[in-house]
Amino acid sequence: MNRDDYRILSKRFGTRDGHKLPVYEAQGGYGALRRALGESDPATVTETVKASGLRGRGGAGFPAGVKWGFVPKDAETVYFMVNADESEPGTFKDRFLLDYDPHAVIEGAAISSYAVNACLCVIYIRGEFGWLVDRVQTAVDEAYAAGYLGRDILGSGYGLDMIVHKGAGAYICGEETGLINSVTGRKGQPLIKPPFPAVSGFLGKPTIVNNVETVAAVPWILNEGAQAWIDLGTEKSTGTKLFSVSGPVRNPGVHEIPMGLAFRDFFNDWLGGMAEGEELKAVIMGGSSVPVLTAEEAMNTRLDYESLQEAGTMLGSGGMIVIPARCDMVELIQVLMHFYWDESCGQCTPCREGTGWLHRIVRKLRRGEGTLEDIDLLGRVCEGMAGLTICPLADAAVMPMESFLQRFRPEFEALVHEGRPERPDSRWAREIRS
Amino acid sequence: MVKLTIDGREMEFAEGTSLFDACREARGEALPHFCYHPDLPIAGVCRLCQVEIEGMPKLTIACNTTVRDGMVVHTRSERVRKAARQILEMHLINHPVDCPICDQAGECGLQDQYMEYGLYESSVEKDEKVHKAKAQVIGPHVILDKERCVLCSRCVRFCDHVTGTSELGIFNRGDRAEIGIAPGKDLNNPYSLNTVDICPVGALTSRDFRFKKRVWLLKGTPSVCPGCATGCNVRIDHEADRIYRLKPLYNAEVNGRWMCDRGRLEYRQVHAESRLTEPLVADGDERHAVEWPELWERLASLDRGGLAVASPGQTLEELVLFARLGAVLCGEGKVCGGPTEAGRGEGDDLLISGDRTPNRRSLAWLGLEEPAGADLVARAGGTVIVYGGDPVAEAPGFAEAAAHGTLVYLGTHRNATCEAARIVVPMSAWAEKDGIFANKAGRLQAVRRAVARPGEAREDWRFLADWLGRVTDEPQPAGLPELRRLVSETVPDVAGVDLNALPATGAVPVPAGSGGEA
Amino acid sequence: MSHEKGTGDMNPVAENETGFELSAEDRAAFEAIVARYPTKRSALMPTLWLIQDRHGYIPDEAVTWAADRLEVSEAKVRELISFYFMYRDTPQAKYVLQVCHNISCHIMGARPLLAHLEKRLGIRVGETTPDGMFALEGAECLGACGMGPCMLVGKHLYEHLTPEKIDAILDSMRRGEPLPADTDRDLEA
Repeated sequence: MNRDDYRILSKRFGTRDGHKLPVYEAQGGYGALRRALGESDPATVTETVKASGLRGRGGAGFPAGVKWGFVPKDAETVYFMVNADESEPGTFKDRFLLDYDPHAVIEGAAISSYAVNACLCVIYIRGEFGWLVDRVQTAVDEAYAAGYLGRDILGSGYGLDMIVHKGAGAYICGEETGLINSVTGRKGQPLIKPPFPAVSGFLGKPTIVNNVETVAAVPWILNEGAQAWIDLGTEKSTGTKLFSVSGPVRNPGVHEIPMGLAFRDFFNDWLGGMAEGEELKAVIMGGSSVPVLTAEEAMNTRLDYESLQEAGTMLGSGGMIVIPARCDMVELIQVLMHFYWDESCGQCTPCREGTGWLHRIVRKLRRGEGTLEDIDLLGRVCEGMAGLTICPLADAAVMPMESFLQRFRPEFEALVHEGRPERPDSRWAREIRS
Repeated sequence: MVKLTIDGREMEFAEGTSLFDACREARGEALPHFCYHPDLPIAGVCRLCQVEIEGMPKLTIACNTTVRDGMVVHTRSERVRKAARQILEMHLINHPVDCPICDQAGECGLQDQYMEYGLYESSVEKDEKVHKAKAQVIGPHVILDKERCVLCSRCVRFCDHVTGTSELGIFNRGDRAEIGIAPGKDLNNPYSLNTVDICPVGALTSRDFRFKKRVWLLKGTPSVCPGCATGCNVRIDHEADRIYRLKPLYNAEVNGRWMCDRGRLEYRQVHAESRLTEPLVADGDERHAVEWPELWERLASLDRGGLAVASPGQTLEELVLFARLGAVLCGEGKVCGGPTEAGRGEGDDLLISGDRTPNRRSLAWLGLEEPAGADLVARAGGTVIVYGGDPVAEAPGFAEAAAHGTLVYLGTHRNATCEAARIVVPMSAWAEKDGIFANKAGRLQAVRRAVARPGEAREDWRFLADWLGRVTDEPQPAGLPELRRLVSETVPDVAGVDLNALPATGAVPVPAGSGGEA
Repeated sequence: MSHEKGTGDMNPVAENETGFELSAEDRAAFEAIVARYPTKRSALMPTLWLIQDRHGYIPDEAVTWAADRLEVSEAKVRELISFYFMYRDTPQAKYVLQVCHNISCHIMGARPLLAHLEKRLGIRVGETTPDGMFALEGAECLGACGMGPCMLVGKHLYEHLTPEKIDAILDSMRRGEPLPADTDRDLEA
C-alpha cells in the first residue's frame, strides 16, 4: 500500500507555504469551485456529494449530501457553517487542515454553500487555536481579493460572504445547534429539536453545519468524481479518513488512511507500534466520547464506521488515543470525567448534575474513600443520563465511563479494596472560575 | 383532527396540539415538569415530561412534540417512570435540604415530584453538594436562593419574552450554573413577582411573604384586584382573617396568568393602620367615635340638597344604591363621580391600565359623570356625601367648599377627605365584601369576601340600603341576591346578565337591547 | 400618580456616561464587525474579543457599553463572559500559562510538567505570581494531542514540552522576549 496514494486531504500537510493562495492555485486549487459555479448547478453538486457517500467527519457520520438535501428547495435565506470548533479530546486533524490547507477548507465551504444556496458561510473556529484563527482570516481575505468570495463570484451570479467567527472556549459549541446558538451571540447551548437546523436554524433560517474535514473533501470529490472517493474506502465508509493519533506510539500525528484499513496494519506500519519501553493496553478510537477498546479488541478490528460499531465502539472524530500499560485506567477516567464536568453547558438536568456527580464519585474512589456501592452507583448515574438529554454530551460522558467500568473493573475494585489514598488531584486540575 | 393513543386510550385532538397538553387531558393531570409553562417558549431542559412513543428509540419530551396521527404514547410505563425517577434524583443531588425553612414548602414542585416518583434513599452526602449563594436580594420584591434553583429557566424566559426587560441570566456552565442578575442591576420590572409564581421551587421567593405563613395553612378566595381597570383575577390567600398574599388566577380574557407587583401588594391596604373602624362625628373642632344610634341621629339631621360624590372604587351594587340615596338626599342630578383626574396614571401594554380604579365603567353605566376638580369644587355645598376616594386631596378647594355645609365621608381609610369630614362612617375593603366590578372592557367580575371587617366597619350595601330605607320608607333588598336582581333591572347595560350566576371568568354584557351575555 | 415601568437593563446610555471608549482604530473594526454580522446580538462575541484583545480583559464599563451598543441587557453580556472560559472580566497576568491536562497530554506527562511549573513559579495551579507576571492554569484539550504535552499562552501554542523547554520558555518570558511567531517552524517547502 503506497501511503502517498492516500494523501488527498493531507497533501499539503507539513509544507511551509501550502496555506498560501498562489501555491494552492498552482496545484489546481479553486478549479472545482470555478467549475461548480460555471458548469454545474447546486442540485448536481449535491447529487455528486451524495453519490460519493461522504459522511460527516465531525463525529456523527451523517451523509453530507443527504443533510444538504434537507434544506427546503424554496428557501430564500440559507446559512452554511463550518464547524472548526475541534475540541474532542484526542482530535487535532482539523487544526492541521486549517494550518496547512485553509484554502481547501474555504473552497470546499464555498462549494458546499453553493450547493445549498447559502448566502453566508460562517467558519466557527475555537478560540484556543489562537494564531491559527488569524491565518484562516488571512486566507479568507486572500480568497475575497481573488474573487472567490463576495458578490458575483467568478461572474457566476452567485454571491457568498464568509465570516471567520472566533469561539471563546466551550467544547459544547462543537455540537451543531450549540454552534448555531453561539453565532447568534448567545451561550453555546444546544437547541431542542424540532425544529431541525436544516429547516430552521440560525435566525430561524435553514442552516447546514459541516465539519472542516467534510468540506475539505468536497473539492477533490468534485474534481475526481464520486466514484474515485468511493473506490478509496469501503461500501458504507467511502473515501479516506484523517486519524489524529496521540499517545506513546512511534509516529503520532495526523495520518490519512483509506477507510477499512485494519487497525493492526495501521498500528504497526503507519504508527510504528509503541515507543520504546511502552506496551499497548487500550485504544480509544474516535475521540474520548466513544467506548474504549482493549488492546486485543483493537487489534481485531478495522478502521471504518461499521467495523468499529460492530466492535462496540464508534469511529467518531477519528481521534485515536493510544493508552499504554503504565496508565491507571481509573486515573484516566477521572481526567475524562473532569473534562465533561467542565464542559457540560448546564442546560439540562441529567447532564448538568450527572457529569458533576460522576466526577465526584470517581475522585472519591481515587482518594481511596470509595466503596463497591460507589462503583455500582457510577453505572446507575450513567443510566440516568444516557439518552435523556437535549444533546449527546451526556452520552459522550457515559460511553467512556461505562466502557472503562466494563473492561477495566478490577482497577476500580482495587482502589476500594486496597484503599490506596491518592494525592488530591485539585493541585493540578484547572480551578473553575466562579 | 388527529387520532392517537395515549396510555391505551384512543383520543382525538386538533392538529398542532402539543403532546404535553394531550397527555394532560388523557391522564387527568399534567406530566411531571418544571420548565414547561403554557405562556413561555419551550425550553425542554428539565427532561421530566419524557414519554414513550412507539417507534422512537429514545424517550421524547412531550412539551416539544406535536400530536401526530397514529402516535401510540405511553406515559406511565415502567421505562417512563424509571426515567422520571432518575431525572428527579438528578434534580435533587445538589438541592439543599431547606424544606424546614423554605417558603415554598407545601407548594413545591420538587416535593410534589418526590412524593410521586421518588421516595428513595439519597446517594449523596450533604457535604458533597455544590454550594451557591443563598438569600440574595435581587430586586425590590424578590429574593434569590441559588442553591435551590433547578435551572428550569422559567424566570429568565419570563423576563425575556413577557416583560422584555431581560434582567435575569444564567451564568457559568455545568453544575456551577446559576440564575442571577448583572452586578449593580435589579430585578425591578413591574411584574417581577410573577417570577416567584412560576418558580417551581423556593429559589425565587417573595420578600413580602418571606417567613410569614406556611402555605398549607392558607385558604384561597377568588377575587379581583382593585388596583386598576384591568381587573386581574386574583386569589386572596388568608388565614384567620388576615391576608398574607395575592396570587393571580388564570383568566384568558383578562390577565392570563400574570398580575403586576403593585396590584399584588394591594392587599396590604386592607390591614393598614389607617383603617377606619368606628363611626366618627365632629362637634366643633373635635371629632370623636360614636355608637350607631348617635350616628343615625346625625345622619337624620342632615339638610337635604347638596352633592353626592361616588368613587369608581366601589362595586356596581354599591353604586346603584348610592346613586339612589344621593338622588333622594341631595337631589336628582346632584350625584356624580369624580374628580376626573382621580385615579389616573401611566399604563403599559401589558396589564397595567392608566385608569387606576376598578369600576369606572359602572359610573358611566349609571350616567354619573366625573367633573374636573374645579367643577367639583364649584358644585360642593350643602350636604356633601363622599363615598370612597379622596376628593379633598384630588380637588384643591374641595374641603373649603364643603366646609360651608356638612361633609360626610363613607370610606375605609383615614385620608384627607376623612380628616375634613364632620361625619365618618367606616366601610368595607374590597376583600371584606362581595360585589361586582366592571373592568375596562366592561367585563363583570366579582370580588368575594375573604376576611372579616375590622371593628365597626359596615358591609357597604347593607349600610346604604339601611340608610335608604330610613329616608324613603321603601322596602330594601333583604340580601345580596335580591339586590343584584334589582341592579339587573335598573342598569340597562347589564340587563342580560344573571349577576348571581357570574361565570368564574366573568361576563361581558352585550349592548342593551340585544339580550343575553357576550 | 405616575408609574415607572421597571427599566431593568434596557436604558440606553451615552458612551461617555459609561466611561468606556473605543480607540479610533477599534471603532472602525467595531463598525466593520457590526456591518458583517446579520444581527446586532450576533456581533457580541467578536466585539468582546475586540475589547479583550485591547485591554487584556473585559472591564465592567465595557460590558455596559457593549450591552447598550448591541441592544442586549447587561445580564446577557455577562452570561457570555461567564460561560466562555476564554473571556475574562478581571485584569490578567502578563503571561497566562494554560497547560492541557486532558487525556492525551496526561498520558504524555502533563501532570509532572504542571508540578514542575508550580515549583519553578512558586505558585499552584489556579494562582498568579505576586508580581503579576505569570498565572498558571490547567486547560482542557487544546486540539494538539499528538504534539503534547502542550501549553497555550495568548495566541501561541507550545508543543512537545519538557521541563527543560519550560525553563527556557519562562526565562525568555522573563527577559521580555516576544513569543515565537508560529510561522517559525521547521517545515518542508
